[in-house]
Amino acid sequence: MFTKMAKMKRKAHVSDTGSPKNGKAPPKKKGKWTNKTRVLVFSSRGVAYRARHLMQDLRKLMPNSKTESKMDRKDQLMVINEICDMKNCDKCIFFEAKKKEDLYMWVSNVPRGPSCKFLVENVHTMMELKMTGNCLATSRPILSFDKAFDGTAHLKLMKELFIQVFGTPNFHPKSQPFFDRVLTFSLDSDRIFVRHFQIVEEDGSLAEIGPRFALNPIRMFEGSFGGATLYQNPHYVPPNAYRRERRMEASVKYKNRIEHKKGKVRPEKSYSLDPLDDVFATQMEESESE
Amino acid sequence: MSDSDPDISDIDSDTELQRAFSEGRLKVGLNRLKDAVPEPKKAPINNVAGMQQKLKEMQTDLAWIERLDVSVEPTARLETEDDVNDDFKRELIFYHQAQDAVRVAIPRLHKLGVVTKRPEDYFAEMAKPDYHMKKIREKLMEKKTSMERSEAAKKLRAAKKFGKKVQQEVTLARQQQKRELSEAVKKYRKGKANNLDEILDGSAKKNQQPNKKRQHKDRKYGFGGQKKRGKRNTKESVDQGWSKAKPSAARSKGKQKSARPGKTKRTQMKNRKK
Repeated sequence: MFTKMAKMKRKAHVSDTGSPKNGKAPPKKKGKWTNKTRVLVFSSRGVAYRARHLMQDLRKLMPNSKTESKMDRKDQLMVINEICDMKNCDKCIFFEAKKKEDLYMWVSNVPRGPSCKFLVENVHTMMELKMTGNCLATSRPILSFDKAFDGTAHLKLMKELFIQVFGTPNFHPKSQPFFDRVLTFSLDSDRIFVRHFQIVEEDGSLAEIGPRFALNPIRMFEGSFGGATLYQNPHYVPPNAYRRERRMEASVKYKNRIEHKKGKVRPEKSYSLDPLDDVFATQMEESESE
Repeated sequence: MSDSDPDISDIDSDTELQRAFSEGRLKVGLNRLKDAVPEPKKAPINNVAGMQQKLKEMQTDLAWIERLDVSVEPTARLETEDDVNDDFKRELIFYHQAQDAVRVAIPRLHKLGVVTKRPEDYFAEMAKPDYHMKKIREKLMEKKTSMERSEAAKKLRAAKKFGKKVQQEVTLARQQQKRELSEAVKKYRKGKANNLDEILDGSAKKNQQPNKKRQHKDRKYGFGGQKKRGKRNTKESVDQGWSKAKPSAARSKGKQKSARPGKTKRTQMKNRKK
């Protein structure tokens, strides 16, 4: 019922904007922008340049984003809830950098949760030259989801979280009224791949704008930046464990080579020559020298 | 084996071990102490009820135009090992997903009466600035030209290879011709054949002359024949007697044509006018 009314209202607004001259009363500004959600996008200290660029891209593309200075690594994550409260934000994207190489992304619905922690892999930013598309800085993206997001409970919850965080509210004052980009979330090999395309032609020709990255879900919590665990990814391998495995593999390779060398037995004789072959060799030389 | 399993007495025989195996007390492989067996990992948490409740809490009753989400069935799923490692295939699937979403969402927006396409004269801040787009265009151009260049080089290389082949064929053919001619001549010498003219006509190049330029040069600078004693007098030249060299045709022609008289003539004419 409510949605129906909202739709009717919106239709009226659209027709208003279409012909502003014939209406006597000035168009009402109040009521157009109903979804006042704000997203805080920031990171921890020690974030690498690539992650920083990714964060800046997101900020640029989200007119409803707010910024905050980098958070100290010593602080508890729960502090973020207070920061969001101060900044009037009810959603948050927080980039947590570890060891200058691992990037984690928290996506959270702030006061009451849920929140989800992802490992961010394969980051490409908007500034890369192979991404040839371009779009209005603050147009509203169409969010495209894999059908698999409607399957299990945790994926459903993630989808809802992504829609609310990455979507731009309708009639946001900083947003542009046209639709020239798609943000896709696809599932593949237990990861969520995020891609961002420009709509070149409305019949389906696209160009990639960037950023592109893959999210490897780690855990989902009941609260915002904490609380009981709702979901834990069974396929997740921490980057440290992964690197250790790779190092072990490399060392095994080296050890194998050494062992192989040790095991080799040198033959006593290099060639099986007939010793009688050389009997006349010296005489020949002597005769030649004479 | 006896050390590893405490259930079996120290003085175990083969029969005893066999019995233990048949009863299921022994397993295939290495038997270790029970204490050393690691505890099975806890099953990963998956609180479905909790998540459903959270989802209900989170959901807002906003119209679709506020959310703009589209669910799309992917065109394919990567399953085999090769497919999983094929980045190009994967990106193509994402691209198709985005395309399908656009095909669903744009008509839906049109139905709601929303203008989706940006007019040509509508300017606003873009996600990528102009200088960056210029860089992208330059890069694309560079790629294109480099590809063209490499393509041309490839073609040239192929042509060279082909040309070499042709040259070889020509030389072989020439050698063959020469051989045939010499054989024919030998035959004639031995008296087996008596059609020399035919042989020569067939083989030798007919009435071949050098090109015009060469001919002219030959005429001008001389070609063949004796160069010595060329300037000596002969009987004929002596008989001809000494005379002034004949003016060449071109020179005399020029003189006739020139309208300007000589210097003395001109001064005389000037004086006469005065």
